[in-house]
Amino acid sequence: MADTPISEEEFQKFREFFYRKTGIQFESSKRYFVDKRLVERIEATGNDTFRSYFTMLRFQASGEELQQLTNLMTVNETYFFREEYQFKCLVDSILPEIVARKSSRSPIRIWVIPSSSGEEPYSIALYLLEHWAGINDWDIEIISSDIDTRILAQARQGLYSQRAIQQLPVRMLQKYFSRVGDGYQLCDDIRSAVEFTRVNLSERADTRAYRNFDIVFCRNLLIYFDDISRKTAAETFYDALNPGGFILLGHSESMSRISSLYKVRKFPEAIVYQRSLETR
Amino acid sequence: MAFIKKSPGSETLAHEERRFARDCAGLALELESADASERRWAARDLADCPDASALLLSRLQREDDASVRELILSTLTRLGDEVAVLGLVNCLRSENAALRNEAIECMKQLPDEVAPIMQCLLADADADVRIFAVNVLESLCHPEVESWLIQVIESDAQVNVCATAVDLLGEVGSAAARDALLRLKARFADEPYMQFATDLALKRLAAN
Repeated sequence: MADTPISEEEFQKFREFFYRKTGIQFESSKRYFVDKRLVERIEATGNDTFRSYFTMLRFQASGEELQQLTNLMTVNETYFFREEYQFKCLVDSILPEIVARKSSRSPIRIWVIPSSSGEEPYSIALYLLEHWAGINDWDIEIISSDIDTRILAQARQGLYSQRAIQQLPVRMLQKYFSRVGDGYQLCDDIRSAVEFTRVNLSERADTRAYRNFDIVFCRNLLIYFDDISRKTAAETFYDALNPGGFILLGHSESMSRISSLYKVRKFPEAIVYQRSLETR
Repeated sequence: MAFIKKSPGSETLAHEERRFARDCAGLALELESADASERRWAARDLADCPDASALLLSRLQREDDASVRELILSTLTRLGDEVAVLGLVNCLRSENAALRNEAIECMKQLPDEVAPIMQCLLADADADVRIFAVNVLESLCHPEVESWLIQVIESDAQVNVCATAVDLLGEVGSAAARDALLRLKARFADEPYMQFATDLALKRLAAN
């Protein structure tokens, strides 16, 4: 690292570029985190200086290096009740609006993508059971999708490490999980509450059937996409949602930088994006 | 009440009555539907049809629903053929600022397709179009970006065009831009913003 120091000007230049490309903003306090990963990629790509690496990053037509760097700059992990404030927002702000305008007793439909190993869709099911009184009055459909069939099989199995369940209250752990070897397995009732499906979000044929959802959770996925794929995903969600439906992104993601299709809703718990009620 | 499971496709078009065939002729008709949702789906699926760009561009000029316009522009970007690119260039001349900005965003995604016409855009008689062309360069992944910007600051007589190029050179420029920046600074010696912008760009280049 001492061989490829990154100057303040270079850091600022990189920070502006990376923000424009990904919407991820690094504060000056993250300087060490950013420098360390930049140096790692500078060395891995055989560049000698930040300047030559930055040129490559900017002008590589495939965008492959930007993807690699983005992967490295984001903490790719998931666990139960991650970004729990969004589930609170779901229960306290979003569902009351949806329920208030439902004209029939049709189920409330939630699409969770990516499913990854299932922590997120299962967290939603658990949170609704524990915190939403409406669960007694409404049917809920949770469909969770991922491009990776192996991770979907893992999700269906519902077997987790200590790390994945560490945010869960002990009471919930005891109520919904059983010990299996070194891990914890989610009970059958919750596992069967979620439908897992394989979907490539960039493939029209895959997403065409996904309609009439009230809520989409798509957290920490779009940051891995290039601009056009991100836009395509936003358009796919638009037609997957009912008018007035909501989409929740990861805390570092912003729909406003991707598409103008959605309205920003600032709830007390979180910022959420909404398809306009008047649209068809 | 409870958690229930149905297949995700249980509430899809498969259960709706189709008003248009999904072939190219049907999609062309659907693009003119009164229903915005149908127009969006037509704009997506037309990507597989020949002559799609001309149809989409024609609709784009008349389309007032933002969601459909966005779908049309995305499909044009994915197609990226000559008709699509020239149609996007024409959008730069539109009085509709939103459409212009949308076209710029699309063109940024098409470096190989836009590169052959960039010289013409940067020499356009309309200074606004030249500024929009520099805006396209801002995120265009193409190795000629710096040389195009140098060419702008060396030759363009319009201060706003040069100012836009200098701002960008501060970010993407190298030592190769230094002399051109100094000449530009001298050329617009009476423009305070240009003095500031060139100094900032030069400072950034020196830090490299």
